[in-house]
Order: sequence, then structure tokens, then C-alpha cells
Amino acid sequence: MAPPPMNPIMFSTEILFTVIAVIFCFIIYFKTREIYKLTKYEGIRYFRDAFLFFGLSYVMRFLFSLAMLSRIAFDFIVPREMFGPIFILPLGYLSTMGIFYLIFSTTWKRFNNKIMLIIGHVVAVALSIVSFITRSHLILLYLQSALLVITVVLSFIAKKDGNKLKGGKKLSGARILYILIAMLWLINLWIIDKGAMRSPFFRGTEVFFQLVSLLVFIIIYHKVSKWVK
Amino acid sequence: MNTKKRDRLAVIFDILKIIRDKHNSIKPTPLLRDSNLSSSSFSEYYAELIAKEFVKEIADKKGRKYITLTDKGFNYLEKYNLILGFINEFEL
Repeated sequence: MAPPPMNPIMFSTEILFTVIAVIFCFIIYFKTREIYKLTKYEGIRYFRDAFLFFGLSYVMRFLFSLAMLSRIAFDFIVPREMFGPIFILPLGYLSTMGIFYLIFSTTWKRFNNKIMLIIGHVVAVALSIVSFITRSHLILLYLQSALLVITVVLSFIAKKDGNKLKGGKKLSGARILYILIAMLWLINLWIIDKGAMRSPFFRGTEVFFQLVSLLVFIIIYHKVSKWVK
Repeated sequence: MNTKKRDRLAVIFDILKIIRDKHNSIKPTPLLRDSNLSSSSFSEYYAELIAKEFVKEIADKKGRKYITLTDKGFNYLEKYNLILGFINEFEL
């Protein structure tokens, strides 16, 4: 069976984007290692883990893009119908955990962490299995989008409770950045799923959202660098 | 336990600062008094500081026990404000 049509420029930008995203995620993870080792502070641990999981998710996406470039992957090494689902399984788990860890990093003081972590892993595994069985990126997207909505609601509730005590802004810059990371992850997946390689409209929007995603990572990296030398 | 975490960082900072301000050598009893902690809380924190190698015990010729900071302890004091800044910046 012939492989689907590919746009080399779009694949190149996708690969470049995922490589840069992986680099930023891992730099943030390793840069914060020392302060975590010094403090063993839970919030820092969840923050680091979020970037570790997002970094690994982008690694999977990178590998997926590389495999898409290879005709061998379609015809010989991996049967074509199994190719997508094989990547969905780890991708679903890693990215869902990335979103969960972002939630934990700001809400860990209010909930029982052990229970929350177990729930997080169970949901992430269940979600990736459902996506694997249905062999659909879209199922993963819908479920993760629902998770994102819950994140936003939780952020508002947690912040609202906090503001009763302290008095402050409704939604801080940090939380907006967290929501943006998760949202852009989903938007990027959705655009790829909609066939960015064929429609000129999607080609433009894909590059736009990739640039916005990198901008968010750069802002977070800058903020981290300000405090962690 | 978790809700105490931010305070925990501050308590550790205060204990280490007391030791540093006493020319990096203080006996356990004055340290307990100056730290304004109950003896049970102090024991808990002290055990943690020893385990994390922020402080170490040394004895003089007469066998009297003193507490001093390690390099890691000095490092914590030096980076404390940056750590707090980081936690506040990302609302962790």
C-alpha cells in the first residue's frame, strides 16, 4: 500500500518544532534539578515532572514524524494499520500525565497527593488504552480536551479559594502559561489530525501554533532562568 | 503535612541562619532555644537536616558536641531567596 502524500516542508517544520520543544522541556527539567534536590519541595517536583512528561511526549511526536517520513515503517517493519496506534499508546499516557502534573504543581496543597497521583496514572492509562483500542487520535484529543476544561475549572476554584485568604488576581500569568501549554499541545495535534499536509489553510495555522507554542516555552524558560542560575 | 511545606522551607532557613550567625558553631541546646520550636519539632527538623547533610555534628577535645553547616547548608542559605522567588513565580 502506498504511503499517504507528504509535504517535505511541513514535515521539516514539524520535526524542527518537536526537536526545539524537546530541548526546552528537558532544559527546564534539568535546570530545576538542583533546587529540587536542595528542598525536596512537592510543587517543584510536580513542575519538573510536567516538563519531563511533555518532553517525552514531544520525543514520541518526533519519532512519529520520523517514522512517517520512512516508507519502510509503512511497508516492512510495522504494518501500516498498527503504525498509528503503536504511537498513540505512549503518546496518550505521557501527554495526559504532563497535563496532570501541571494541575498537581498548583493544586498539590489542597488535595491528597498520593490519591491524586494514582487517579492521574489510572486515567492516563485508561485514556491511552481507549485511544489504542479505537485507533483514533480524535478520541485522545476529545478526552484530553475534557481534561483541560477540568484543569481550567480547578485553577479558577483553587485561585478563588486562595484569593479569599490573600486577595489577588483571578488567574495569574503562571496559570495562563500552564493552560496555554496544554491547549497548544491539543491544537497542534488536532491540526495534524486534520491533514495539515494537504490544505494550505492548515499549513499556515500549523506553523502559527507551533511558533506560539515555542514562544510559551521560551517565556517559561526565561522565567526559570531568572531564578535558577 | 503538605500544607506546612512552605513554612518548612522557612524553618530550615532559620535554623541554618542561626548556626551561620553563631560563627558556624553552636551547641544543640542554644540552637533549640533560638529556633523557637518545640523540642519534638526541633528533633524532627534536626534529623532532617542531618539526613540531608545540611549540618554535621563535631566534638571538641572535651567531647562537647557542636553543630556546623556543611557546604550544602551554606548553598541552601545562599539560594533560599531564589528558591522562594521560583516557587512564587510559578505558584508552586
